[in-house]
Amino acid sequence: MTGTVLVYDPTAPLRQQHAAQSRRVLSRLAGISVGFIDNSKPNFNHLADDLGDLLMTRYGVKSVVRHRKPMAGIATPEQVMNKMTEQCNLVITGSGD
Amino acid sequence: MSVSQKDRSGLVEVVDDIEAINALYRERQWGDGLPVIPPTRERVERMLAGTQRAHDEVVAEVAPGFGVATVQQIAVNAVLAGCEASHMPVLIAAVEAISAPEFNLQAVSTTTNAATAWVIVNGPVAQKLGMNSGLNCLGQGNWANATIGRAVHLIMQNIGHALPGEMDRATQGQPGKFTFCCSENEAASPWMPLHVERGFKSEQSTVTVVGASGTLNMLCHEKDAMDLLRVIADSMIYPASNDYWCGGAPWLVLGPEHADILHLAGLSKADVKALLWEKTKMQASRRSIKDLARTRDARSAELGEIGLDTLLPISPTPDEIGILVAGGPGTHSVYVPTFGNTRSVTRVIEL
Repeated sequence: MTGTVLVYDPTAPLRQQHAAQSRRVLSRLAGISVGFIDNSKPNFNHLADDLGDLLMTRYGVKSVVRHRKPMAGIATPEQVMNKMTEQCNLVITGSGD
Repeated sequence: MSVSQKDRSGLVEVVDDIEAINALYRERQWGDGLPVIPPTRERVERMLAGTQRAHDEVVAEVAPGFGVATVQQIAVNAVLAGCEASHMPVLIAAVEAISAPEFNLQAVSTTTNAATAWVIVNGPVAQKLGMNSGLNCLGQGNWANATIGRAVHLIMQNIGHALPGEMDRATQGQPGKFTFCCSENEAASPWMPLHVERGFKSEQSTVTVVGASGTLNMLCHEKDAMDLLRVIADSMIYPASNDYWCGGAPWLVLGPEHADILHLAGLSKADVKALLWEKTKMQASRRSIKDLARTRDARSAELGEIGLDTLLPISPTPDEIGILVAGGPGTHSVYVPTFGNTRSVTRVIEL
């Protein structure tokens, strides 16, 4: 009869799982500022244009703030993240291609 | 069949049978497709004896999932890979290195490019661990090279959550995603070793990680240094390269015979880099129209207006071309193109 043995799970918790409790819900879109971080892949700028227009005309969003990265494969600079955190109630990042 | 249940300590109970244990790891996607050594409590304890660091110390959060790499979790993956306890300090330094912001692991692990971490060991520890820096140093057959490289990749997948086909979006990937590790052939190199070039003492040991897209063998029997450099430079130029797209930091593994030819011609490593940087400039029109548009987005701040005739440097500066001397006898060197948006990182191995 074969017995059992204890072995370790080699994975580690995702940081997102730790942060899940701090997730906030927006009660409305009217009057807020929305940011877009454009990953610079082709056509994402057009998608962000359209979404921005829609958010302002249909949902009453006050302003749209845009940042376009020079390349998709780099992180958004910290000063841009800080600026968008100050200016925006909601930031949308994309991976359009 | 493996029946398993996970307890709070991260331990899972499974039928004590090597095939059942491997079936569990396969089912949970905790491995790399090759059989693994079961990380039992006893094996992990023995692995942890290879370091003085506290078991619960956080070494880094590993992108793209930013899983927490404690010393113990590194040891668990080291056991899986078949490492020995003496490899632990190298692995800890490698995890620190891949997690440095300039390495850009978040992109290296998630890109459609084949990029992965190439691990280079320098200093006395390489010999102490019996690493291979000579014949077939990038190939199979050496325990330390194979298992250290494998452990780093298991850490990227298990702790970093770069699961192939999920967060790891590599279109094809490359064999180096199983393991990609060697040491520098410091004894055969005519120049100072990589870690000394980077400001460390020769008696220190270091690990360097490179976001490598693959390897390209370069055969050249030429004994004239300038003609040899011309051929190497020509081999480094290709229009579909990420390095030309964004201004990268590509690498060369020079075979000792090629390195000697260059050294005997009076060239320092810096001279070789400067000459290669000039000779690898590529006319922008060689990129596809769409890819040239991306190059303009990425490099206009660096190069100004980019026209069809603009000569694109492979890297922003000559010094960003990396050179390692490794391998055995033979007239071969290896080109290692990179992901481009990544810079190699060197960290001290604390023994």
